[in-house]
Amino acid sequence: MAVDHECSCNKNPLLPSLCKVIDVKQETPDVQTYTIQTLDGKKPFSPLPGQLAMVSLLGVGEAMFSITAQGEDYIQSSIKRTGLLTEAFHEIQPGQEIGVRGPYGNHFPIEDLKGKDILFIGGGIGIAPVRSMIRYAFEHRDEFGHLDILYGARSKSDICFKEDVLEQWPKEKDTNVYVTTDVPSDDWDGHVGFVPSYIEEVGFKPEGKKVVLCGPPIMIKLSSESLLKMGFQKEDVVTTLELRMKCGIGKCGRCNIGSKFVCLDGPVFTLAELDELPDEK
Amino acid sequence: MILAKKDLDQALKILSQDAVVFAPLITLIEDKSQIDQPAFEKKFMPYHEGAAVGLDNFNTVKPPKDVLFPNVEKLYKYKTGEGAYIEEIVPEDKPKILFGIRPCDMRSIDSMDKVFFTKEYVDSYYAKRRELVTIVAMGCMDTQRTCFCDSMGLDPTYAPTADVMMNVTKSTRTKACPVTGCTIPEDDGSYILEALTEKGKALLDKISSLCTENGAEEAVRDVSCSLKIEKDPELDKKLSKMFEHPIWDKITKGCIGCGTCTFVCPTCYCFDIDNENYGAEGCKYRCWDSCMFSDYTRMAGGANPRPTKKERLRNRYMHKLSYFNERYGETLCVGCGRCIENCPAHLDISEFIEKASKVDAEAKEYSEADFAEKEVR
Repeated sequence: MAVDHECSCNKNPLLPSLCKVIDVKQETPDVQTYTIQTLDGKKPFSPLPGQLAMVSLLGVGEAMFSITAQGEDYIQSSIKRTGLLTEAFHEIQPGQEIGVRGPYGNHFPIEDLKGKDILFIGGGIGIAPVRSMIRYAFEHRDEFGHLDILYGARSKSDICFKEDVLEQWPKEKDTNVYVTTDVPSDDWDGHVGFVPSYIEEVGFKPEGKKVVLCGPPIMIKLSSESLLKMGFQKEDVVTTLELRMKCGIGKCGRCNIGSKFVCLDGPVFTLAELDELPDEK
Repeated sequence: MILAKKDLDQALKILSQDAVVFAPLITLIEDKSQIDQPAFEKKFMPYHEGAAVGLDNFNTVKPPKDVLFPNVEKLYKYKTGEGAYIEEIVPEDKPKILFGIRPCDMRSIDSMDKVFFTKEYVDSYYAKRRELVTIVAMGCMDTQRTCFCDSMGLDPTYAPTADVMMNVTKSTRTKACPVTGCTIPEDDGSYILEALTEKGKALLDKISSLCTENGAEEAVRDVSCSLKIEKDPELDKKLSKMFEHPIWDKITKGCIGCGTCTFVCPTCYCFDIDNENYGAEGCKYRCWDSCMFSDYTRMAGGANPRPTKKERLRNRYMHKLSYFNERYGETLCVGCGRCIENCPAHLDISEFIEKASKVDAEAKEYSEADFAEKEVR
């Protein structure tokens, strides 16, 4: 039967290829970014913004992570220490061999976003998938309108990608960056407060604007409510979901929401699309 | 073609020469710790000379799905550290014959084919096994008390997607039943075989010397299920509007979350992937999983979109009766009745189908009193 997908392992989609971690960067006390290459120094595959990779630490486990960035010869994933596998990931050193398969899932609707102003909203580690789209927009800066980036973290030390968020992105052309923390701290002189209320406080205008949103489930829910209240349309708000996954190819069953599989039909959905699905997010 | 029942063993022996023939074999249960009477079980096992082949009566407790989709299957080997590698494990390539599966189980394999062969990715492990299997389906002669496949749109005597269709021939003679004394048809001792595919034709060619050409024989086709249910033909669409319906609270009360329904279900295909280590080496395997277990959807950090048995059973029934229809165009319950027969808490999907077909989809409250008392099955 004909197979129509962009999998790098065109024969057996469950078989990872052996790659190595060439760099480990401590982003926050519980988030590290891993730069991944094939054993012969190449890029494992070329994902589109928002796509996923199944990454495994051989002998420990395998899980799906968003690909937060890519370069000529690498891809990057940022992993928060949360469970058994991610604990083990936080122990590894550069040179560690890992299994990688992918890319999986759909991607941010680049064609729909082109020519529009974009409001990127990230909460906590939820900035990781959003960052892939932000980077794409900067790399193709002329194809997009005005960019707003609103990011919220628990505290200053919990801000992921500090160089990007605090230094690099605010310098980019026609771009505003808004950063907020949940709690105040001595070394933080920026905004304090939760993301949904900050969205309303800044008062973004919905005209000609698309929103790319990701964060913890409760933050996505409340931020969506704020955006809708401010006049944004459900079709114009894109979010990316996360559920437990094993196969990544829509077969093993667990990441379904109704008849859709997050690994295959997602992870990117508009709020309008999510409205069509059972409320199990 | 006509095969006399007395030649069945000979036919299976011939077929076993260049394939492993999985047939429903009746064996004595060896473990007598729980029972003092001799007890028998019937399951799909490789045929060997002298085996008791049980094509009649009840279907097997376990469906034959593990021939195509083993309950544990190794995916690849690996080594970590110095000399790290990942090496695919390819399923063995010996041809197999699934002999005597019922139309419900054949229809289940059609559903599994849809899952593993379509929607962008082909599962190479399943594909490899599937291509090497030839299926001989057997029409049911009578049905169990929990059979309801004809209410789900199947014909218990015919499996259109099998490679070979096999039925007993209709008898013209009758005899007295040794138990009740009433008049029953007397077995005339023949099977009628029909090749439905090229694979099936090749299989029949091997045993043609044992067979005779069709004469006036007719297959037994007037079989109907014991359990009749009234199913709304549009139930899948109705259920998609019943996600928050109070019926879920009611029907999930008895469930103990044991997962038996998923393991005996011929269409349940969900799997887990895990690893087993031997020092620096190890292998990745997949094994059957169950949506009835809390771990199934629980994420690192503890969040779980289906935290209680209500969400889990709702997902199972919705998947069988609505989600699968939406995704693949057919229902995932084939009416084999295994989950009804084996549920320790007496949950009954046929009862659910019937009730869900009748309730008001918009109802805010649900009462058992809305339904007449049903006979206990």
